[in-house]
Amino acid sequence: MKNASLIFKKEIKEILKNRSIWLPILAVSIIFSVIFPAAITFGLEGILKDPDASEFIKRVFAETDNLQLAMLHFIIKQFLVFLLLIPAMLPSLIAPASIVLEKESNTLEPLIATPIKTGELLLGKTLTSLIPSFAITLIDFVLITIIINSIAYTKFKLLPLPTWDWAVVTFILSPVISFIITMICLIVSSKTVDIRSAQGIGAVIIFPIYAVVGLQIAGLFLLNIKYLLVVCIVLIAVCPLVLKLAIKIFDRENILTKWKMK
Amino acid sequence: MIYAENLTKKFGAITAVDNISFEIEKGQIFGFLGPNGAGKTTTIRMLSTLIEPTEGKIKIDGRTPEKDGQYIRSIIGILTETPGMYEKISAYENLNYFSSFYNIEGKTRKENMEKFLKMFELWNRKSDPVSTYSKGMKQKLALARALIHKPKILFLDEPTAALDPESAYMVRNYIEKLKEEDITIFLCTHNLEEASNLSDVVCIIKSKIIKIATLGELQKDRKGKKIEIVLKDSSSKYLDLIKQFKEINDIKTDRNKISLSLENPEKTNPVLIKKLVEAGAELLYFNEIKASLEEIYLELIRS
Repeated sequence: MKNASLIFKKEIKEILKNRSIWLPILAVSIIFSVIFPAAITFGLEGILKDPDASEFIKRVFAETDNLQLAMLHFIIKQFLVFLLLIPAMLPSLIAPASIVLEKESNTLEPLIATPIKTGELLLGKTLTSLIPSFAITLIDFVLITIIINSIAYTKFKLLPLPTWDWAVVTFILSPVISFIITMICLIVSSKTVDIRSAQGIGAVIIFPIYAVVGLQIAGLFLLNIKYLLVVCIVLIAVCPLVLKLAIKIFDRENILTKWKMK
Repeated sequence: MIYAENLTKKFGAITAVDNISFEIEKGQIFGFLGPNGAGKTTTIRMLSTLIEPTEGKIKIDGRTPEKDGQYIRSIIGILTETPGMYEKISAYENLNYFSSFYNIEGKTRKENMEKFLKMFELWNRKSDPVSTYSKGMKQKLALARALIHKPKILFLDEPTAALDPESAYMVRNYIEKLKEEDITIFLCTHNLEEASNLSDVVCIIKSKIIKIATLGELQKDRKGKKIEIVLKDSSSKYLDLIKQFKEINDIKTDRNKISLSLENPEKTNPVLIKKLVEAGAELLYFNEIKASLEEIYLELIRS
């Protein structure tokens, strides 16, 4: 664990010195946790004036005639899916960079020649991606809660957040998604040699999450606590499989002989 | 200290290392020579537990990689072909990072870092990002990294390749000093003069071992000896006389010097000297010119 934490600390230091990695993370975070919630919550009055939109929101997001309540459901459900994007997107930016930076500087061989275990190396790389993702998800969760609650309270005298489904997404689904995306990105990164292509592949990997967001925004699909728990169970079952594959890929011999290097 | 028996490494259909065996004593410098693609790096990787041999046995300090890989990695230092440093962080941070994986007390680690950074004249630039370093500075930093935990065995892959002559001289002197400290050194180099000056034993490899011996043994075993004769007067007068010896080849004359090669000097030399003296030659010197490692290497590799 000590060696994994050494890797984690060094990686974070390097990431913070590399603007091409942390700038997109910051941008994604600000967009999803500040700009979107503020814009949509402020724009509610406009939506309320449109009878078709109001009807749609009432029908899809809350089985009620209370438009105010329906609007709050709308806000909460929409940002719930946006919150899913953060734990998916951040590992797709961090994990490939973590491997590609090693390849660019030819540091993998001297690193694995130390007494470090390959499991510790994998754990260190995983933590580098998981901890910031979870931390930023938590920060975003708090920010969204504050922004939505304060605007909702001002306009409707209600404090709609947090809810159970938000708690499940933040504390169970987000880390699980981050873990799976991290593992897949680490596996895929063994075959790429530059950050852009690695992150490009990462963007493709998180496509299912985009699909969920898109389907919900289009009103074709609505995440609820039941769906979320089922998704959690399925994804938790997937975790050992991706971990097993990543451990295989992170074998010393594989790194030196099968990974694509510069 | 290092024991390899029938070591073979195959990558698919390609045999990178083919059934090689050797033993290296504690404190020896083992010159491992061969052309590009001869299997040198693959051998280092097998010995340092980074890759597994397809066949054969390895023992490092009496331990096997299968059981004690982590122990073996803790007692070895490696200078890889490319320095491999994190470019965005400083030299000091790089050394601190790599050395923290070894079981060294914090104070000793800091002392070692200071010692090696000063020794390799990097102390004044210790806080600069490695990206601002020259190739030679990176190589010196990589060498410092290989030594930081005071390894028992050092694998050096082209240690002076990127260095300027002064730094290369300093590194070579340091390698000799390490020998005095009983550190076993596995030296891969294309610099044959360096190998010749530093190595106790030389191993020439081209997938298989071509020859393994001390430089003296290599010179002794070499077919054909070179002789240089220095006369008081012009050497060309005796050219015809020497040409009468069928066993003598490559005869060259230069003012009062004659150089030649022959197969059996113990048999031919006394006769040759007698004939030259009888012909009126006054011999100032009669020397055997020892073949350089470069000559021996090229002969062995080409054959």
